[in-house]
Amino acid sequence: MRTHHLPNYLRAHRKRSGLSQDDIAYLLGHRTAAHLSRFERFRRSPGFRLALALWVIFQLPPHELFRGEYHKVERVIRQRAKRLATRLAAKSQDERTLRKVAFLNKIGSRGHSR
Amino acid sequence: MKGKRHNTRRVLSVDPTSRGLGYMVMEEERTPVDWGVKVTRGKTKSATVATVAELIRLYRPHVLISEDCNAKGSRRCERIRRLLDGIRDAAAKDGVRSVKISTRRVKETFTSFHANTKHQIARVIAAQLPELAPRLPRYRKPWMSEDYRTAIFDAAAFALTYFYARSRQYNSV
Repeated sequence: MRTHHLPNYLRAHRKRSGLSQDDIAYLLGHRTAAHLSRFERFRRSPGFRLALALWVIFQLPPHELFRGEYHKVERVIRQRAKRLATRLAAKSQDERTLRKVAFLNKIGSRGHSR
Repeated sequence: MKGKRHNTRRVLSVDPTSRGLGYMVMEEERTPVDWGVKVTRGKTKSATVATVAELIRLYRPHVLISEDCNAKGSRRCERIRRLLDGIRDAAAKDGVRSVKISTRRVKETFTSFHANTKHQIARVIAAQLPELAPRLPRYRKPWMSEDYRTAIFDAAAFALTYFYARSRQYNSV
């Protein structure tokens, strides 16, 4: 099954901005464009600070810029939230647990589905 | 829209030239993902096919769009015909469906935008997809050879024709 979204849309947004890989590399504080090229070819994912830097550059939140990665993480978290909710609900039924379960169920059902 | 809403579809459209190959990756009709020209002049046919295979592996398109060289009015040479067959075979190996679109169909689609020549079509595309506007070649005079960037607009024209045909199909359901 093919996924609908690419891991990231860095190249599309970079080309749209008219900036070269070297320009973006300079803005990111890298000496060469090698890192950026790896991100654009989906060989690597940027870390937290770089994701923030790219947000600043393109004025796009990470879930837009890294749509495929975001959906992957979202899917995993939702599954875990559902599993944890089931586990907690089976253990106890006190008020505190019910609040947790309600919150986990909310995680399981929400999301930036695009 | 009357018909069922369709999911995001990514297409890779290619247009080989004597210099190399123009390509366009699009998600729906207004979202270009990547575009450009891959220069493969002087390399073998298999090197050009490998270039497209690399694009397919990178972007995992649902559909590969190329020119229908057997359609009436096609003036593609034997080398390009064989190259396009090779590209379609490579796409089939990766499980990507190939769609052939004739230049006649492209012209029919863009006639509704009052564009008849290649340059007029390129201008319509540049207006619809502003990201491509900086790459719009200048008007070709009779003594000038074709600008290499025209291949990007030809590839984009195939992709847009595919999306327009698809939206018409959904609207008529």
